[in-house]
Formats: sequence, structure tokens, C-alpha cells
Amino acid sequence: MAVTGIATAPVGNLGLTRRGLTGLLLVAIPVLLLFWLIIYPIFSAIYDTLFLADQTGTRHFSTESYRFFFSDGYSLNNLYLTLWTTAVCGVLLIVTALPIALYLRFSTSRLAAYVQGLAIFPMFVPSIILSYALIRTIGPNGAVDIILNSVGLPKLPSPYLSPWGPVIGLVWDNLPLTVLMLVAGLGSISNNAIEAARDVGASPFRVLAHIILPRMGNSLLVAASFAVLGIFSAFTLPYLLGPASPEMMGPFMQRTFNDLNDPLNATTQAVVTFGFCLFFGIFYVYSIARNREKS
Amino acid sequence: MKRREFLAASAAAVAGAGLMPRFAFADEHTIELYSGSDSNIIDLWNNVVRPAFEKANPDLKLKVVDAQDNNGLRAIADRALAALKTKTDPKADMFEHFDPRLPTDGIKEGLWVKFSTENTPDYAKVNPMAIDSDYSLPYRGSQVLLAYDKTKLDPKDAPKTWDALVAWIKANPGQFIYNRPDKGGSGGNFVRRAIHEANGRDPSKFTVANYTEDFAAKALPPAWKILNDIAPSLYDNGSYTAGNSQSLQLLAQGVVTMTPVWSDQVLQAIAQGVLPEETTGLVQLTDLALCGGFSRMTVFTNGANKDAAMKLANYMLSSEMQEAIITKIGGFPGVSWENISDDLRQKYADVIPQTIPTFPSGDWETAVNDGWYRNVAPNLSRS
Repeated sequence: MAVTGIATAPVGNLGLTRRGLTGLLLVAIPVLLLFWLIIYPIFSAIYDTLFLADQTGTRHFSTESYRFFFSDGYSLNNLYLTLWTTAVCGVLLIVTALPIALYLRFSTSRLAAYVQGLAIFPMFVPSIILSYALIRTIGPNGAVDIILNSVGLPKLPSPYLSPWGPVIGLVWDNLPLTVLMLVAGLGSISNNAIEAARDVGASPFRVLAHIILPRMGNSLLVAASFAVLGIFSAFTLPYLLGPASPEMMGPFMQRTFNDLNDPLNATTQAVVTFGFCLFFGIFYVYSIARNREKS
Repeated sequence: MKRREFLAASAAAVAGAGLMPRFAFADEHTIELYSGSDSNIIDLWNNVVRPAFEKANPDLKLKVVDAQDNNGLRAIADRALAALKTKTDPKADMFEHFDPRLPTDGIKEGLWVKFSTENTPDYAKVNPMAIDSDYSLPYRGSQVLLAYDKTKLDPKDAPKTWDALVAWIKANPGQFIYNRPDKGGSGGNFVRRAIHEANGRDPSKFTVANYTEDFAAKALPPAWKILNDIAPSLYDNGSYTAGNSQSLQLLAQGVVTMTPVWSDQVLQAIAQGVLPEETTGLVQLTDLALCGGFSRMTVFTNGANKDAAMKLANYMLSSEMQEAIITKIGGFPGVSWENISDDLRQKYADVIPQTIPTFPSGDWETAVNDGWYRNVAPNLSRS
């Protein structure tokens, strides 16, 4: 624990406080910036949506905008679609990224470097370019349809403009970060532990289930939290590839704010979105804190 | 230093000094024009308007800045309104296309120039149908048409009335798509045509000023009913593209047979080979045309080059520029047709109609767009 570490440190009590003070001063500016740019806007948004100004300009407490959001079927549909997309993407990301990460961690062949390069590649493609590329490939009469047609196979229903369009795009877009985080997490598993298990005759599946996965919990959690936070507020891919309705929270908020000139409801949607993201953020902070305690 | 060198050097210095104030002078008269339009319009301004205007006015320069979209323009307008209150230069002189009702207090605070024949000599030429507010100057328009694939639909069978169109859409499921009304005017004006259809095909029934919630609650639901009725027959049982160009793309890829398009965009797509010239058909409804829209310039009262900007605004109404709009981008003029040369009027008579129904923006826009998202887009029969 950090506290006991400090108590046994070979520094006098006086020196400790002075050092603590210098440390606090050093972080003061970033912490103030954090308050100004992040904490203050959050509380201001919550305040603005809970204390509404009436015609005379005086503010009074009201949960009206939240009551509207949670009683409006259209808004709720958008929220459900966002949650569904996030959940499906989260699962698909882990399912696709984990095997790649395991391969990259344990393979010693030269091919692994190329696989890694390929897995990281989507990081360098802006999502607007990706959207148009996907429309051309998986869209109707796109490259996939042409290839299927040329070998005499029937056309597939295109995911373009259906909820599966953004799912494909978002998984593609978030794959590199997830792979990188899982590879980093796998790096902390020692070869010795795995070899020891193999020596006593454990099958590869048992090694995965009993040695690797239990040690991976933390990085899986971190990777999932990051992916979820990115997907929840995604804008470009859901807007260009997804259906007109229900729409994900990103396009919905943008439309409410800009097209309907309705900052109050847009802020309410933002606070609701933030609430869900906070939930995953807490997971992330919790796992980081647990990691610190361990080390 | 030799005498001759000295003379040459001092002559150069004098010439330089003589040039310097002219540079500064020229810099003071650079009109800062911001546009939120698509790249074809920015190209028109840079390649056609700017050279011609600078040639006609050697002491003036024009700088065209792409503000990306209407939100970009709004941010600059907000900045100009703040500059007006502090009496500073907004660093912007005019907008290529903007609604002067924004920012909300703009007109009240005197942010925009009020156009009249006094400050704009050619104001009388402007097409009266295009005038939307005294604070904006319509200079170009375009119309929504139906573009179709002639290989799948014989031009003689192309629907020419709303009823025929609806019948065709239902008879050919999956072959028609329009885009979300707030994300591009081609779909937006298709939706507005349905509103006209549901309200007696009389465009004069809707004005910016006559919006009330009660009237909207009466006028719009029948249109939602019409649109919901055709929704299951649209592409993918009721999908809507995210913009004008995506609709054109689906037509070009042979996914759909017919889609509403902007006249200028489809002519340009044909000119660029995106759509094949010989098999792309264009048709307009004859019972009531699909709505069009005008682009209206606004000029800041507090811009450093207000007078020069007003000169440019008037220049855009000249027959040279108005005809360039027809010939270069396939748009139609902001001035009345009698101000356009006879050959041009005859040559483009098919594409450019004599009357252009319009639908007011303002509160109607919000009501139509949000109403469509809530009532038509979540077409329940899809799932």
C-alpha cells in the first residue's frame, strides 16, 4: 500500500510535507485545467438541465427535460439502439481482438510482425474515409456483391443503412486500440507460469481458461471500457452508415442541437450519455486503482 | 557608390515606396466572403466570379473562404455579432448563403445590411418569388428533379404527377430512395412536396410568418401518412440515405431506379461522368413541381469592406454572373427571367422551369424535419 511505503521511506517528516507541497504545486496547473475544461462543464451542463430559466429569466428546479427524455419513445429508441450497438460492438471487439492478441503474444514467427501491422492499420484511417470505403465495398452493388455475383453466388442483404452498418465500421475502427491493450495485458503473463502448467499436462484450452484469462481480467476490462466510451458517442460512422431512425446518440445530439436549435434537450441527451459513459469510466478507474494496489 | 548606381537605387526605393501604400490599400479592400456551400459553388466563386469581379474592379480583391457548412457560418456570424457590440472589425464582410434570422438577435441589433434599390441598384431585377427577407439577397437557385435510369424505366412511362409517382414507387418496390430531409435538400424537398400534396398543392399556404403549432399539427400529419404509405416500397423497406450525394451514388451504382436530385448536382454528375449521359433521365412533376431553393447572400453592416461587399452583391445580379450560374453550374438565376438573354432562356427552358414552388424555412423547417424523424423514419413495418 502506498501509505505504508511512505511511512518507511528514508525521508524526514518535514521533508515529506515540503516534497508533498512541491508535488501539489507541480500538478496544480493541470488539475486546474482539468477542473476548468472537464469538471466545470459537466456540472454546468447538469445545472443547466435541472434548473430551467422561465420567461422572466429566474431559474427554478425542474426535472422536466429528463422526464421528457425518459418518457419520449423516440429518444428511448435512440438510447436503446446506442446501448445495443455498444454491447454488440464490445462483444465483437473482444471476440476478434483476443485471438489476434494471443497470437501476437505467443507467436515467434516473422509473420506476427505483419499481422500486428495489419491489426494496427485501421488506426490511421479517418472514419469518414472508412465510411465511404465501406459503402463502396459492403454497400448494395458494392465490391462484395460483385465478387459474389462473379462466382455465381446470390447477393447478400447489405448492412448499409441498417443498424449493422455502424457495427461493422465501429469494430473495424476500434480494433487496433483493443488489440494493443490486450497485447499489453498479455505481456504481463510470464512464460514460466504457462510452461509450468504445460509440464503438468494442461491442454491449451485449460491454459487459456485457468492461467491466461484470470490474469487478463484487468486488461479486458480496460480494453472494453475504452471501446465502449468511444463507441457510445461515435458520430461519423453511425451517421453515414446507419439508419435514419433510430439514430445513435451522437447524431441525435448533434441534430437536436443544430437542426432543432434546442440546446436544452441536446444537453439533457448529453448528460444521459455521460451518465452511461461514467458507469464504464468508473470500471476503468476501479481497475486502474486495483492494479496500483497490487503493484 | 557610383552616381549611376545611386540613382538606380534611389529610383527603386522611390518606386518601392510608391508601391507600398498601394499594397496596403489593396489589402484594406479585400472582401472576405465566407461560404458554407458544396465544392461546386466554391469553385464557381473562385474560378468564375473572382477573376471577373477583380477585372471589373481593379482596386478590389475577393477572398473566398470555405466555412465548411452552415454551422461554420453561424460561428462566424456569432463572432460578428459580438464584434458589433464592441465596435470591432468582425474580419468578415459577407456570406455566400445564409439565413439572416440567425443569430437570433442579428436583425434587431443591426448586424445585416438591409437591401433596397438605394444600396443595390439592380435589386429591382431580383425574382420576387425568391425574396425571403430584406436582409438577404437571392443570387442563384436550383430545383429538385427526379433522376432515373432509362435502362430500367422507359422515359415515356416516367411519372409526371404525384399520383403516378406514388403508383410507380408501389409497383416497383425497392427502386426508389430519398435522403433524410435535414441532411440534403433533395430529400427535404421531396418531403415538402408531400406536404404540398396533402394540403391542396398550394405553395402559398405556407409562409415563414404563418407558422403556428396548431397549423403545423393540422397540416403535417396527412403528409406523414402519405410518406408512411410509400415507406415499405422504398429501398430496403424504408431506408433513407444520409445526403444528396449518397442518393446520387445509389443511382449511379444501379441500386435504385429513381431518386430526387438537385438540378445543379445531377447536371454536374452527368458532366463529370459519375452518371452516364445517355441513360440518365430527368423528369419534373407537372401537377406541382418539387420545391427549389435559393441561395441568399448576406452582408455585415460592421464589416471593414462593407461598401466593396455591396458592390460585389450588386455585381452578382449582373447578367454576366447570372448567366454564368446557368451555364457553369446548371443552377438558375436569382433575377427574373426577362433579365436573361433569349438564347439561354430557350436553351435551358426544359431544365429550368418558369415557376419554382418554395417552402418557407424558419420554424417550419424544424417542424418538418423533426416531425419526419419522429413520424416517418421509424417505419414500424421494417423490422
